[in-house]
Amino acid sequence: MKPNRLLAATAITLATAGGAHAGVDALDLVEPVAEYKIFVTGRTAELVEGVDAFVAAVKAGDVEKAKALYPVVRVPYEQIEPIAELFSDLDVAIDSRADDYEQAEADPEFPGFHRIEYGLWEKGSTEGLDAVADKLSADVHDLHGRIDGLTFPPEKVVGGAAVLMEEVALTKISGEENRYSRTDLWDFKANFDGAYKIVELVRPLIEETEADFVAAVDGNFDKVYAILEKYEDGDGYVSYLKLTDADRNVLSAAVNTLAEDLSTLRGKLGLD
Amino acid sequence: MTATEKRNTGAAAPSRLMPLAVAGSALLAAAAAGAFYYATQTATGPERGDAHKVVVGERTCDPADFALPAGRATFEIHNASSRPIEWEILDGVMVVEERENIAPGFHSLLTAKLKPGSYEITCGLLSNPRGTLTVTPSAQSEAERARPPITAFIGPLSEYKVYLAAQSGLLVKAAGMLEEAIRAGDVEAAKAAWLAARLPYKRIEAVTGRIADLENAIDPLPDYLEKREQDPAFTGFHRLEYGLWGEGTAGGLAPVAQRLSGDVAALKDRLKALKLQPEELAGTALRQARRLGEGQVRDGENAYAASDLAEIVASLEGMEKSAMLLKPLVAEAAPDVAAGLEKGFSAARAALDAHRAGETYPPYDRLDAQAREALAASFRALAEAISALNPAIGLE
Repeated sequence: MKPNRLLAATAITLATAGGAHAGVDALDLVEPVAEYKIFVTGRTAELVEGVDAFVAAVKAGDVEKAKALYPVVRVPYEQIEPIAELFSDLDVAIDSRADDYEQAEADPEFPGFHRIEYGLWEKGSTEGLDAVADKLSADVHDLHGRIDGLTFPPEKVVGGAAVLMEEVALTKISGEENRYSRTDLWDFKANFDGAYKIVELVRPLIEETEADFVAAVDGNFDKVYAILEKYEDGDGYVSYLKLTDADRNVLSAAVNTLAEDLSTLRGKLGLD
Repeated sequence: MTATEKRNTGAAAPSRLMPLAVAGSALLAAAAAGAFYYATQTATGPERGDAHKVVVGERTCDPADFALPAGRATFEIHNASSRPIEWEILDGVMVVEERENIAPGFHSLLTAKLKPGSYEITCGLLSNPRGTLTVTPSAQSEAERARPPITAFIGPLSEYKVYLAAQSGLLVKAAGMLEEAIRAGDVEAAKAAWLAARLPYKRIEAVTGRIADLENAIDPLPDYLEKREQDPAFTGFHRLEYGLWGEGTAGGLAPVAQRLSGDVAALKDRLKALKLQPEELAGTALRQARRLGEGQVRDGENAYAASDLAEIVASLEGMEKSAMLLKPLVAEAAPDVAAGLEKGFSAARAALDAHRAGETYPPYDRLDAQAREALAASFRALAEAISALNPAIGLE
């Protein structure tokens, strides 16, 4: 038996999850996967443009501008993470955390977004970040080219919805990812949007045969979006530290349920 | 709680939720308590299947080397180090599967469908040495190699649809500029836009040629019409070509250009709705290669613009896109067929390159019969190579 007895809605979904997936025609996935690639390619173009502006601000020594751009330019990366993180070398270069390095923040190898985040927020300075910034720019350009050339594996596209939710459950709820800037809610939103995009693309394939599942997933997305909305600030979000414990718990439960539910999507679509 | 108590020893219980229990400590006290409750609830679940246990320490994985048969395999990754870890199976730089953020003292399950080959596994810190995973063929993987399952074609077909969408987008844009230039009476700009529009059109012609109603409006050749250039059905690209190059004027062409714009926009929509079958990736490329080899190269198509060489290059690019999408599957099933395909494309490219002058190609009327025959022969050889694809992967 699956373990998720805490949440009734999940239990219902899981009861049907192991059973027959009602004969989805594999070729019906061609169009959603194609649409997803078009979406990801568009987001990646936006990432490249954003990062180049961010890098310019860092190199100009404009700490305030760089801090303002940081959460914004990360959004497309976080949306397309299921694909971006397939390229292990670039994912490490762009988005690894200090924990992955022997000397943590002090490690000369510590690169990418979070190295710059550390400099901007903890040191209040762009000193020594020129080379890191140039490398970040080169890496997102490289990523763009590689994504262009990638034939998207359908199981990674469909599985991507759960991957994004796990990403939130494992690295965002704890506040681990943006530990210096506290801009975590921006990333949350981007991860949710990325996952929701995938759900939207495959929805026509399952909305009749898996109506309960789709309703449960929609319900949990509604919950997470409703909570995020409370913390909106201008075009973005307030500091993660302002999230109340009560909201964090609701968010955490909904995200974990979504991670569980969406992890069955591959099986439902015949891709396991 | 002790490290042992923290472990989720539950069966298929996806312990990806577990790191939550330690994740935010103070930040997360309440959620962590919930996750711990969940852990205790699953501690006595059914026995797990035969998962391959791997313990990640400060410096290494234990074991660090795995040898498994192809197919589904589950790994149970224990983090015995003092930091959160990510565990990945890598095929070159590409991630096959991964589990993120396994907290110290916890374990997580990962299931991967492994194809035969050599992989690496990560072991904690990025600077730590990697382990290896050697996957040997199984009866099922051998069967799938010779006859890939239908799901193996979703990716290639999607990629081709992305290509059709991109090229038809370029076509619509260029046709719009062509119409604009014609309305402005700017013959030189119209010629440039016409040449630009032909390239994306040629790249996807293998597929669009099957949409007969639009094809007959977009690309009819005067040779096939009763009254040739004077025929009322003479519309589309070649009608504009005749006006711009043959008569040297944009006069009277605006309605033709407008119709072409509408037709290519409709074409774009039809391509988006089109459902392609796996055998069509090679099938359309094959048809196009044969057309070129059996007459189009000999006769030429653009009697007035003489821009055939650039268009043949574009045709080749389009064929290469669709046929090469099958190459990874074919290379596994029949390496000689994949090698033949590579050879066919490089020979055709070389035959075209022989005529190239920098970034441009000479007018087609400079190519005599012998030169055309050499070029046509390379497309016939290419067709031969492409025709071997579908049978190699059980599609015919």
